[in-house]
Parts: sequence; C-alpha cells; structure tokens
Amino acid sequence: MKKRVLAGFLALAVALSAAGCAKGNSSSAPASSAPNSSASAPVQTTRAAANEIVVGIAQDLDESLDPHYTVAAGTREVMFNVFEGLVKPTSEGNLVPAVASDVSVSEDGLTYTFTLRQGVKFHNGDPVEMQDVLFSIERNAGADGSAALIPALESIASLEGEGDTLTITLSEPNPEFLSYLTLAILPADYDKQDTAPIGTGPFRFVSRAAQDSIVLERFADYWGTPANLDRVTYKIIENVEGLVLGLQSGALDLVSHMSGVQTAQLKASDFNIEQGTMNLVQALYLNNAVKPFDDVRVRQALCYGVDKHGIIDLAFDGYGHPLGSSMYPAFGKYFDESLTDYYTHDVARAKELLTEAGYPNGFSMTITVPSNYQPHMDTAQVIVEQLKEIGVTATILPVEWASWVSDVYSGRQFESTVVGVDASDMTARAMLARFESTSGKNFINYSNAEYDALFARAVSTYDDAEQTEIYRQMERNLTENAANVYIQDMADLVAVRKGLEGLTFYPLYVLDVAALRWAK
Amino acid sequence: MNKKRFNGYLTAGLLITGILVLLTVIGAFYTPYDPTAMSGAAKFQGPSFAHFFGTDNFGRDIFSRVLKGTGTTLTIALATVAIGAVVGTAVGAVTGYFGGAVDEVLMRLNDALTAFPSILLALLVISLVGPGNKYNVVLALGIVFIPSFARVTRMSFASLRDTNYILGARLMGAKSGRILLVHMLPNTMRVVLPAITIGFNNAVLAEASMSFLGIGVTPPDASLGYMLSEAQGMFTSAPWYALFTGLMIALLVFGVGLIGEGLQQLEREVA
Amino acid sequence: MKYAAKRIFTLLLTMIIVSFLTFAAFELVSGDPAQTMLGTQATPERLALLREELGLNRPFFARYSSWLAGFFSGDLGVSYNYRQPVWSLIAPKLEITLCMCFVSFLLITVISIPLGIYSARWTSGPINAVRTAFNQLCMAVPPFFTGILVSWGFGILLRMFTPGDFPGLHEQFGASLKYLFFAAICLSIPRIAMTVRMMRSTVIGEMNKAYVRTAISRGNDRRGVLMTHVLKNSLVAAVTFLGQTMAEIVGGSIVVEQVFGIPGLGRMLVASIANRDYPVVQTIVVILAFWVVLTGTIADLLNQSIDPRLRLGGHA
Repeated sequence: MKKRVLAGFLALAVALSAAGCAKGNSSSAPASSAPNSSASAPVQTTRAAANEIVVGIAQDLDESLDPHYTVAAGTREVMFNVFEGLVKPTSEGNLVPAVASDVSVSEDGLTYTFTLRQGVKFHNGDPVEMQDVLFSIERNAGADGSAALIPALESIASLEGEGDTLTITLSEPNPEFLSYLTLAILPADYDKQDTAPIGTGPFRFVSRAAQDSIVLERFADYWGTPANLDRVTYKIIENVEGLVLGLQSGALDLVSHMSGVQTAQLKASDFNIEQGTMNLVQALYLNNAVKPFDDVRVRQALCYGVDKHGIIDLAFDGYGHPLGSSMYPAFGKYFDESLTDYYTHDVARAKELLTEAGYPNGFSMTITVPSNYQPHMDTAQVIVEQLKEIGVTATILPVEWASWVSDVYSGRQFESTVVGVDASDMTARAMLARFESTSGKNFINYSNAEYDALFARAVSTYDDAEQTEIYRQMERNLTENAANVYIQDMADLVAVRKGLEGLTFYPLYVLDVAALRWAK
Repeated sequence: MNKKRFNGYLTAGLLITGILVLLTVIGAFYTPYDPTAMSGAAKFQGPSFAHFFGTDNFGRDIFSRVLKGTGTTLTIALATVAIGAVVGTAVGAVTGYFGGAVDEVLMRLNDALTAFPSILLALLVISLVGPGNKYNVVLALGIVFIPSFARVTRMSFASLRDTNYILGARLMGAKSGRILLVHMLPNTMRVVLPAITIGFNNAVLAEASMSFLGIGVTPPDASLGYMLSEAQGMFTSAPWYALFTGLMIALLVFGVGLIGEGLQQLEREVA
Repeated sequence: MKYAAKRIFTLLLTMIIVSFLTFAAFELVSGDPAQTMLGTQATPERLALLREELGLNRPFFARYSSWLAGFFSGDLGVSYNYRQPVWSLIAPKLEITLCMCFVSFLLITVISIPLGIYSARWTSGPINAVRTAFNQLCMAVPPFFTGILVSWGFGILLRMFTPGDFPGLHEQFGASLKYLFFAAICLSIPRIAMTVRMMRSTVIGEMNKAYVRTAISRGNDRRGVLMTHVLKNSLVAAVTFLGQTMAEIVGGSIVVEQVFGIPGLGRMLVASIANRDYPVVQTIVVILAFWVVLTGTIADLLNQSIDPRLRLGGHA
C-alpha cells in the first residue's frame, strides 16, 4: 500500500514539473527562456519590438506616491516622469515652462505671472484648470494653518488666478523662487494620490506591486513631445548581485547607480556604461558640538589625515568627483573647484595640529554609518585605515536607516557619520541653508557667526551675481573651518543595454525615461 | 556483536574541526597579513602563494580575513549555544521535573517563542541592546535557541523523574536541587550533547544568514556570513572570495556534524 | 470535540501572545515610524501631524486593543509605508511564499522518504560512511550560498531561468513555478538531508524492534515486513518531523527570497521591520505563528489517523 502511495507521489511530482515546464515554455515571453547561443547578439530584441524597457532599481518605492509628500530620492527618481509643475527642470539645470506656457517676473522680483498652457490634461483625461494649480500650490504653502511643506512658499503674500493667468506676489524677493514651482500640479478633486497617483507628465502610473515592480505607460494625450517608449517597468531588486545578474540574463535593460565593481562584471559587447554623478555631497560629517570636534584644529587634522583620492581609488575604483565643500559640480556657477584640494593628504601636518590641540597621541572616535548604504560603509572602512596613520582610532558603528534618521539626523546623537547629502530641489540655498546655526536641519551643529552673517546677506539680496558670490564665500567658510571632512560627489554609473539610446544626466537625482528610445 | 568499531565519523569530525579551530586560534595572534590593511595595487588578485585565497575589492588578503572571520563565527556560535544550552536546560529541568502549572505556562511561552520568526526576535533584541556588534548578536541568537534546548531537556527530565532511583533519592529525603544537579543532569547529557552539536551548526548558519541579510554582524567585526554577503556582490570579478568563504562555513559545519554523527554512533554502541 | 477545542484555544493563545510580544517589542525598539517615513524632510510640525494621523500618540494598551479588535473583525490595518490595506499588500506575497514552500515540501517529501527508507539498508560499511558524510555536507552548505551558485549556474550559464526576473504568479503560473523550483532546491537541500537522516534512523530503530525480528524469524519476507509494519510505524515520526519542517521552511525562505529576488513574505517582513511599518509586521508575524501552529495540528491529526493509540491525547 505504501509503495503505491509513494509511486503516486512520484507521479504527481513528475506530472507537475512536466506541466510547469510545458506551460512555462508556451506562456512566458520567449526571450527569457530561450537559450541564446550567440553571446554578442542583443538578448532583448522582443522588448525593442514591443517598444518597452525594464529598468532595475535597488530601492522599493515604499512610501506614499503623492508627490507633495514623497520623501525618498528613489521614489522621486521614478515618479519624475509622471508629474510636472508650472515649470520643470531640463538636463542642463535650467527651468522651462511646463504646465504654464509662459512665465514673467517683475522688475522688483516680487510678482510672478504665469499663463496656463492650453490643452494640458491629467492622466485621467480631465483638463488642467486654474483651481487645480491653486490647489497644488496652496497645499504646499501651508494653507490650512499647518506648516508649509515647502518653507520658501511661506513668503507668498498673495495668489490670484484669473482665467488663464496666475499671479503670485511675494512678501520679499527670492531669486530662487521659481525653482520651487517645479512642484507637481495635481487634480484638486482626487484623493487617491497615495496609491494611484495622477499627474500631467509624459508617462502615467499604471501599477505598483510592493517590493516587486512599478509600471508606467506612455500618456497619449501629453501636451508636449510624447515619450518614445510605450511602457517602462521598474523591477525592484534590492540585492546588489541580483541587478548584475538581471542585466546579464536579459531581464533588465538599464540600471543606474552601479559601482565600478558591478559594471566591471558586464560584457562590453552588450552594454554601454554611461557616467554621471549622484549629485550629492559625501563626507565624514563631524558633530561640531562634541569633543574633540568642537576644536577646529582637530577637524582640520582629520581633513589632512583623510585622503579623499585614496578613498575614491580604493572603494570606488577611481570613479567619483572629489569635493572640498558642501557643493557639487552640477551647480555650475556656485561650485568652487579651488576648494577641492584645500586640504592635501598630509600626515605630518595632521599630527602637528592634533598635538597643538592637545592630542599628541591621537584619540578614539566612532563613525556612525547607515548600514544599508554599502558605499558609505566601504568609505568608512577606508577612513578607519587612513586615520590609523595619524594616531586616531576610529570604530565603525553601523545602524539601521531608521535609527540613523532618528538618532543621528534628528537626535544629533553621534560623533561622526559618513553619509551623502543632496539638495531635493535645484537650489544652492538648499545645500547651504542647513549649516546656519539655528537651522532645524543643522545636524552637525555647525556654529559660525561669520557663516550666519553671510547667509543672512545672501537671502536678502536679489542680485544674482552678488548672491552667487556670497554662496561661494560660505562654501569657503565651511572648508576653512573644516566643518566636515569632504570626500566626493559619487559617480553614477548607468549600465544601458546596447541599442537603447537617449540617456541624459540631470543635475538632480532623477531618471528621465521620456527621452529613451530603442535604436532603429 | 557490540565490538568497538573504529568510529570514523568522530575521528574525521574531530580532525577537521580541530584543524579549523587550531587555524583560528593561531589566526587570533598571527595572520599572514593585517586583515584590514588595504592596498590599491593588490585588488582582486586570484589565489597565489602570496595570497592563499586571493584578495578582495580593497586589496585585503582574503585568507587573513577568513581566519579572523572564522574566529568571530566560532565565538558567536559557541557563546550562542552556551546560552541556549545552559538556560534551556535550566528551564527544561524546572518544567520537566516539577511539572504542573509552571510547566504549562512555560511551555506555552516556549511554543509562542518558537512560533515567533527567529529573525524578528533576533532583530528586536539587537535593536534593544544596540546594533551590529557581536555580543548583541550572541545575546539575540542565544535567546532564540533557548526554546529548543528547553524542549529537548524537558522530555529527558520528565522521563527520568519517575525512574526508580530518582524516586528512591526523593524518598531518602534528598533536596530537589541536589537531585536535579547530581542525579539527573549527568543523564540528560546524553541528550544534550548531540543537541549541542546540532545547535552549534544551526547557530553558525543562523548567524551567517543574519549577517547575510545585513542584520547580524557588520564591520569591523566581520564574520563569515557578512563576508559572504560582500563576496556575492563581486562574484564575477572575484569568485574565489565567495567560494572560499562559503567553503569555510561548510567545512566548519561539516566537521561538527561529523562529530555529532560520531557521538550518535558511540551512543548506539554503548546502548 | 474536546481535542478540537483545545487546539483552537492553543492557536488563539499563541497568536495573541506573539502579537502582544511584537507590539511590546516595538515600544522598546528605537526608531519611530513617522520619523522613518519623513526621513530628512522631518520637521517637528510634520512629525507631530503624522504621528497624530497614524495614531501613535495613544497609550500602548489602547493601540494594542484596537489592533486586536480590528484583527478579529477582519481589519488588518493600513501599511504606514505603502498606504495600502495590509491584506491587499500581503496577500500576493503570501501566495508566492506558500507556493515556494509547497514546491520545497514536495521535493523534500518525494526525495527523502524513499531515500531515507532505502538507505536504512546499510548500517555500516563504506557505502554508509560515504552516504553519511555526503548527508552532513548537504546540511553544512548554507542555502544562500547554494542560491548564489544555482542562480549563477542554472540562470546565467545554462540559461534555464532568468535570475531577477520573477514572472508574476497570476500572469505566468508555469514560468513562476519553474522559477520557484530553482529557489526551492536551495531551500530544500539541507532539509532533505535532515529528513533522510531522520527517516533512516527511525526505520532502523523500528527494524531493530522485537516484533520485526519475530516476524522475520517466523519466515515473513523481509521486504514485506518493511512495507507493511515498519513503514506504518515510522510514518508517525516522519509526519511530525515533516510538519516541523514545513513550519521552518517558511522562516528559511527569507534568505532564499533575497538571493533570487522573489517578492515573498520574508522579504516584506525584513523590510517592514527596518521601516518600522508596524501594521505589516504585526500581520506577518501573526500569520507565521498561525502557520506554525497549523502545521503542528495537521501533523498531529494525521498521526492520530495513522496510529489510533495517539487519539486519546496521550504522548507519542
């Protein structure tokens, strides 16, 4: 009897697997299961024919998809293609009219006049009307008495929409005001933005399966140049090697933010590796309020002791743009290249400074690192080795991201940390404002009277040239006072399957898929 | 028929484990290279006489790192099993011997703890006591391992409780504590010892899994599990990193597993 | 009936204890969900608003009891992160994980039971030594390591499946099963080894019992005895063990899901813990607890039907 039971089991197993195989071969996309004998022929010709691509991303979009509430850079990177504001950024870092067709600013910089573009539709087919624009701006300006989502909008004195004309009057001039109007225009009468967002961009949101995929499709009624691709699927693969495997196996066509080690594993015949930057400032951020970092000499000693070029070589395979202050190259005119090597790698000078400051035999310190960011963990490991040379014993304290945000960023309970700080909008002010001594975002507790004075001047001036000059002076202040040990703007390596063209880099953490297309 | 046969498992197991432990102990004092020393020039070199296991992405010698890593893994696993065995046996003794309400309550708690996903439990303990260093991992895993030891020893204690000689001891007025320690404990060793070898292996694999997922040990306390997760990311450029690290884990567990087999054979011969 | 009642009571009690412990644990763990959600955009005002919205300011017991009430009325809450009802978020993942575990279980059962019985033939000698050593080796290799090798070997080299490209379960059932099969292999290997070992020692144990020797000495065919009596008696131990295995597989699937990029329950659990997405964690933990007790109960029931002596609630 048992024998028959066992035989039954075996038969069942065989039957199931046979059925699975048979069904698998007929129902799955042929390209993914067909063995490919020719190594150099493009693997995903079916997707090119279907005019769609699959992008691999390492971060899940595990938050509200409502663009006004989105926090994570990874979410904004994807949803950039779904939403637009009155103006939107270009890859050169300029702003062009989007939902607005025309923008003009008054002489005194207090009045902004927008003309609503004709024929702009939301993804649900409804036309964009003035009430939607007003709704979107008011939502971010703290209309109902709550704090403004975008603090700069608090300077709006009045908001008037007449017909097709929107007039915004400010209480004080702000040369960077326009960049805040890249905020997404959303329909006023729709309440499901959290999970099924609707915008005006070239792609519309189709679906999100947690930890699995996001699907976007071309929006046929887009007001501007329509996107080339019909469909973009983002596959979420949190595992580093999984992304590489996905590219190699043909499952993925494009992956951003790869490291040199990862791209080295890809066949040159199948992929082009494009290089941009991550647009952030990676540094060993020092808690200026904690001994011994409250002494500028100690901070400077660390700057001399850490070899940023060595870090870039060892941990990043030579890819990366070294930095000397809290600004990165994409900011163009604001970026002061001369600050980069202000502190050369000088072990002797470092030891001298330490002795002067009262630490002839060095000291111990901890470096708190968010453990989910491998690049920062790698950097920290190299720093530990480098600091040994100047007598400083550093210990790495890995913490979960949630703990990092609550303990380090908000609670400011740390000695030093390695992390990358970016600007969520394209303003130099966003990068520098946080080091003003009373700023709520001043997690390093930087306190410098000269810096504060400069900042006060910068925000009150309307002259662009003057403001730029002041910002540059502020950067210099940060460098000379060794606010942090600046390292680099990390390289953004993008693996693109051969045949896929149109990738452009933005000075923001976004991936513009509207410009991508398969070569004919 | 019960002639003492050459216990191949025990011998082989002790040999393998012994060599690994010896290497690890030596490694605590001396390694061919400083395990954390980086060298840009020596990146991604394959196995050679200079570097037995090759070098990694930072140019660090993998053999030295593996030695240190095995040490960390061994320490964690041993400490984990020690906590699990000691506390678990104590719990098992109390519940098995005394029975009654205490038994019911503790066993319910035990079942609940078993139903609790071990990763969650470990993660929670780690979050409570502080992140990423090896002592906290030990504490977390140790707690996770208590229920299985408790269950195993409880059965043993419960079955021994009613044997004649224990009853005799109680009749003679011996105190419970003495009975438990002096009379019953040595007999439960027969059950606990194999459980320890199995527990040790599970601990090694559990720690490796946790570190692999990023919630166990993290640098600078690199354990084999953590190194394997690093190695996985460079499998194409440096397969030797993953292969040697994985091999080490497998060898360690294999060696101890053979010891366990050997113990079982010993048991069968004695029985 | 009394037995069924007792079992249901155990089930509920376990789930309540587990959920309570989880809730309590989150009280003590650092990291606040509101904080994590807002990240570097957190300002005191927004934090306060979000905490109010999520109901985080209410006292512990109030929150726990409202969760419990919700749970028993079918409302599992809304994910803090995804803003979706927890059940709609988890259901597809549960399906996938269960599928993979069933495939794994099938593999284990189909391979190890016959293999375990067959290998009972040798209790000594070189074949036995090799078999034992190989068995230990299979138990020694960590599943995520085999995962790396399998993805590499079968996926990239032999192109039998596409690592990282998990086809949807509903869209392409067959292809999904095939994908899960490769992941299940890694999950199963150590457990096959363990089950073979268990099966073998149980059968050998039975074979050594007096009644077997009697039957054989009376002239019964050895194989016949094996098939009818020994197997039946060994089945009880096997069912119990397999029940435990089934419970453990779900826990072990977490790591394999990571390596193969399968959007299953384990991955969701790990991520939700990191994000402090309490509603999701609570639900998954309770589901896992339920699963453990369920498999145990099914194993018990099966055993009782095989061996009537167990029916009166005595110890096996």
